[in-house]
Amino acid sequence: MIQVKDLTKDYGPRRAIDKLNFSISKGDVVGFLGPNGAGKSTTMKIITGFMAPSHGSASVAGFDVFENPLEVKKRIGYLPEIPPVYADMFVQDYLRYVAALKQVPKEKIESAVKNAIEKTNLGDVQKRLIHHLSKGFKQRVGIAQAIVSDPEVLILDEPTVGLDPKQVAEIRELIKALKGQHTIILSTHILPEVEATCEKVIIINKGRIVAEDSIHNLSKMEQGQIRLHVRLRKGVEDMQSVLSNMGSVIRVHSGASAKEWDIDIKGSEEAVEDVSSLLVGKGYGLLELTPAKRDLEDVFLKLTYGQQEKGGPA
Amino acid sequence: MSGTLVIFKKELKGFYFNSTFWMICFLVSLVFSWVYPIQLNLFSQLLMNYVMQQGVPQNQLNIHYGVFLRQLSYLNLLLIFVVPALTMKLFAEEKKLRTFDLLLTSPVTSFQIVMGKYLAALGAVGGIVLLALLYPVATSTLATVNWGPLLIAFLGIFLVGGVYAAMNLFASSLTENSIVAYVASVIFNVSIWFIGIGTEVVDGERARKIFEHVSLSSHLSGLVEGTVRTNGLIFFLSIIVLFCFLAERVVESSRWR
Repeated sequence: MIQVKDLTKDYGPRRAIDKLNFSISKGDVVGFLGPNGAGKSTTMKIITGFMAPSHGSASVAGFDVFENPLEVKKRIGYLPEIPPVYADMFVQDYLRYVAALKQVPKEKIESAVKNAIEKTNLGDVQKRLIHHLSKGFKQRVGIAQAIVSDPEVLILDEPTVGLDPKQVAEIRELIKALKGQHTIILSTHILPEVEATCEKVIIINKGRIVAEDSIHNLSKMEQGQIRLHVRLRKGVEDMQSVLSNMGSVIRVHSGASAKEWDIDIKGSEEAVEDVSSLLVGKGYGLLELTPAKRDLEDVFLKLTYGQQEKGGPA
Repeated sequence: MSGTLVIFKKELKGFYFNSTFWMICFLVSLVFSWVYPIQLNLFSQLLMNYVMQQGVPQNQLNIHYGVFLRQLSYLNLLLIFVVPALTMKLFAEEKKLRTFDLLLTSPVTSFQIVMGKYLAALGAVGGIVLLALLYPVATSTLATVNWGPLLIAFLGIFLVGGVYAAMNLFASSLTENSIVAYVASVIFNVSIWFIGIGTEVVDGERARKIFEHVSLSSHLSGLVEGTVRTNGLIFFLSIIVLFCFLAERVVESSRWR
């Protein structure tokens, strides 16, 4: 569906993205992940035909975005970071306008608008001025705008940024509901969002792709490693030395106080048992011991910020 | 439905369903309701006493010159400041509110975007010109009016409004800031009248001719007297096309900048 080849974009002397290569097949829900300023929005803008790449090419449904932008734009629904809504228009009129702009046939405009309103739960506010809507509703109008022409590809640039937790959950549910009908690219720097909605992740840092895989595979990257979060009644000055003669312990991180620690261990459940019995045996008063698999967040941090540490100051 | 038509309809609604436009119309009619009757009164006094007055130019005894053309020059003055107020938001606000992203990711060409917006601006300018035309129409109940020259004169001022709209659309496309767009537009509108001054300072016959041809007032003067010359029409159309083209280039440039 989407093919990106050697995509490069320079803003003056600054290279925003550097030779990106990836492809997305029909029906995929792909999370586009990276820290702020990694080049996510730039890549999305190029795919939508909003701007041209400096080098390389991108194509949607077989049409090159630069050679044939109109065909590409017909097939794309795009939600930019700031929803492109006209404050002085009514929700319904606005969606009608977008539908006409996206060349929805005249007789289908009404049903398309109705459909988009239904999917995004905007029924209650459809006759209100966009100006009077809350941020969450504006965001939903933005999504409605993207899906009103029933596009093959849906590109959402940070769809949940700046919303309250309930609204975030609603938008996520909405994206889940849209799965299967569209090919979706979702950019974000919020990890649970990707975990909740996407099947495939592309992690991008400083304009380069650092990982591209399914979520399942990515979160298993550090296999056999378990992080234990322990909370004790008594404070321990130096946990490292306490655990020094246990071979399975890899690293110890200090927590919020001397009573909380994160311990990375290698091995299976026996290693967990060893640590717990040691802590109990020493009489520290073990209150809590939670095993946490190394999750996407760790993988992400390691792939993006970890590189910086290795490569010296960026 | 082509993109031009969709954008045209939306922008035209944006003008006519917006209180700003009606506010402007109200203020324009306020000005005319004050100056037009005064002009008319002066003209009728002149007619009553013309035998006694020496040296009154012959054409001042005609209502077309004595009243209507004066009204047109006031209308022109108003348009210089009113058209920028109408067009300043057309691109600047879209850029500021990021709704421009929507236009640029929709299957419409830059040409269609500019044409839709320009035609809508023309629709709004036309509304104000029609509003001004109401005054001569009302006068026709009191006096005999020669409709041909009158309508051609109004067409002339409408074309000048069209030139303003094109230049101001271009000014609006250059910036995100409506105020900057407004100020630049007014400067454009005022300065186009100064090009003609060149005729008075150059010596060469050829240079003088050139300045005469690019002067807005020399082309307008034919129209306001009721004569349609093709070179005048072509001149107005070329300025409009030039600035619409420039605006189109600016819109297009956001795709590769």
